[in-house]
Amino acid sequence: MNGGVGGDLARLLAERRTDMAPIDAGRMGRQRHARLQAQLARQGVEAALLLHGPNVAYATGQPVRGVDVSYATFEHPVALVVAGEDRPHLLTDRVDPTLDVERHPAACPELDEGAADLARVVGEVIGPVAGRRVAVDEQTGAMLRTGVLEAADIADVSQVVGAAKLIKTDDELACIAEAQRRNEDAMAAIQDTARVGVTRGEVAGAFLAQLVELGVEANLIDPILQPMPRRVADGPRTTTETVAFPTGVGNPTFVEGDIVWVDSGIDHLGYASDFGRTWVIGRDPDAAERRLFQRWCDVMVAVLDELKPDVTGGDLCRAAEAANGGGRPWLPHFYLAHGVGVESAEMPLVGTDLGPTFDDRLVMAPGMVLVLEPVIWEDGVGGYRAEEIVAVTQDGWRHLGGGHAYPPFA
Amino acid sequence: MTASTPTPTSEDAELRAARRDRVFDAMATVGLDVLVLGRRDSVAYASGARSLWTAGSRPYGPACVLAAATRSIHLLSSWDEGVPPEVPFAHLYGVTWNGAILAGALAAIPGLAAARRIGVDALSPGFERMARRLAPAAELVPADDLMRAMRALKLPAEVARIRAAVAVAGAAMEAGAAVAGGGPAAARAAALQAAARRGVTVPTSGVSAWPSYPDNGARFHLDVGLLVDGYEGGLGRTLPGGDGDAAVVAAQRRLVDACRPGATAVDLRRAVPAGATRWRVRGSGMGLEAPVMTDTRGHADVIEEGMVLSVELELGGRRRRDLAVVGPGASEAL
Repeated sequence: MNGGVGGDLARLLAERRTDMAPIDAGRMGRQRHARLQAQLARQGVEAALLLHGPNVAYATGQPVRGVDVSYATFEHPVALVVAGEDRPHLLTDRVDPTLDVERHPAACPELDEGAADLARVVGEVIGPVAGRRVAVDEQTGAMLRTGVLEAADIADVSQVVGAAKLIKTDDELACIAEAQRRNEDAMAAIQDTARVGVTRGEVAGAFLAQLVELGVEANLIDPILQPMPRRVADGPRTTTETVAFPTGVGNPTFVEGDIVWVDSGIDHLGYASDFGRTWVIGRDPDAAERRLFQRWCDVMVAVLDELKPDVTGGDLCRAAEAANGGGRPWLPHFYLAHGVGVESAEMPLVGTDLGPTFDDRLVMAPGMVLVLEPVIWEDGVGGYRAEEIVAVTQDGWRHLGGGHAYPPFA
Repeated sequence: MTASTPTPTSEDAELRAARRDRVFDAMATVGLDVLVLGRRDSVAYASGARSLWTAGSRPYGPACVLAAATRSIHLLSSWDEGVPPEVPFAHLYGVTWNGAILAGALAAIPGLAAARRIGVDALSPGFERMARRLAPAAELVPADDLMRAMRALKLPAEVARIRAAVAVAGAAMEAGAAVAGGGPAAARAAALQAAARRGVTVPTSGVSAWPSYPDNGARFHLDVGLLVDGYEGGLGRTLPGGDGDAAVVAAQRRLVDACRPGATAVDLRRAVPAGATRWRVRGSGMGLEAPVMTDTRGHADVIEEGMVLSVELELGGRRRRDLAVVGPGASEAL
């Protein structure tokens, strides 16, 4: 793809794609621990008790699993980070010997007996919690009944973890880039299976099987392969009166001319990828559909031209709107761009319903990651949506991932 | 584009109504004015809504609100796709990143502001703050145990769903076994694709494989846990030759048989042969459920009629996992 539609964008992304240094998981863990410690000190928090999988992964390196929430909550590992300590505590029976953590047997805080186990470990590690400032992400019902943190001064750990993970280390960026490259490789291998008469499930199954072949351990989202309506009125009713995506239900059979919005996410060493493309089933895109793609490329180029340290989220939104000829080229229940890391969507969030004042106060800094996901919609023609991941650098940005093209558009 | 949602059947509607009645009745027994649910499986149980599956835990938030006074269900969803007809569009509140917008949507739910007792299936500091502002007089009560006890005892229609889910897991296992000579990765890939051909791509525990150590890797365990039409189908075998080892087949039959009404973890332990390297009996329904019974867990739990249990045993390097429904006298492997 060197010329024609999308050529400018492809060249721009290729110029800014740099080789990543090898990932050093030990160094990554030590640097994350240092960032958490800095936030604990800054926010006057004595200990952080973490149950939410991505938070535990950030604090300890414990890998996330591609399992349902019921498994994640019954079996989930728990992390405890204590201000001033060298290493985090990890409660799990699924021990990864390479992790630099203080190990404790698994507690199952979903159950009353497990919450009592957790209370015992918390007591051993930090002593009585009464009056102490302890940050948590959530407490299970059993923890509330058992009084694991009774009389503690409870803080919201999202302030601590959110601040720590906003700026990524080089190892974290390399993990995201590798996750994205593997996700792209799997999609490239199976895009041909999306043909007339094939079901969404069959294409998703080919993708999941491909992940096994590539050695990807955790798939993070049921692969989205959603045939889109041509008009908003032909799709589900929405609270925003725009097109519904991603609904994640049903198993449609593809027919010729379906515009399919594709979205998937996998894990690499605790970090998420975010693949997004638009496919057309059984034929080449027509002229009107190509116009949507061209405008999507124009919006991307305009936003990337603007992106560098010290510009704001508001600046990026305005660049996107101008390139779109006015009107916000993204889904109103989502964003123009979101961060990615241990969560598939995290700060910085750009263009959300947090509003323009929030966007104008959100200042880009080196090490931030943005998944740009503009959507071009023309009612009656349909929509083009795709995603690219970039990291803010000292002098601009760089592209993460492997440079997947935009077939069948370019 | 063809229709993307399966046509809802009257059977769906009856099952949803039965579950919904159970939830509202249970709320009444403990005097809850409002129940706020954050977990996907709890939300699916109470509301019947289907939504995009994502792995692992989600940050806790009010995904579904049930108001006792009006017996109405309010749901976090930006669209009506996947939302059953008994939850009207006006009861949907869209995905938002803005706490003020979310608080405004919740404040509009009749009965919330005046609630005296609000049940929650878990609690985050952020939602606790919001709830105390929205319903200043309310006591926040953990209600995860209420949901868990209710869900543990299956309705007949739920057992039928689980039976159908096990059939999909069986087809996946069969596909994996057919290529077991090619190794664990080939078996996993084949199992995933067999389920996907039946429209099933959402895991519960997922499709996993790991070596059987006594066999020096010549055999491997394949385990299938999938969410089919809202319910979990599960099955585990050691390949190649899944059914060929009489000792583990007999031992598993004894353990399934021990899962009778009134049985405790101690009774189950007695049914497990001395040489077994692992056993676990735990609930299965819309995912992993209570009770969880092992050598070290679930000593206060008692098996009851109507439970569906995942029964797992490993003996001599051979592993079996089957789902079983507990009947009045004995249990039946599905």
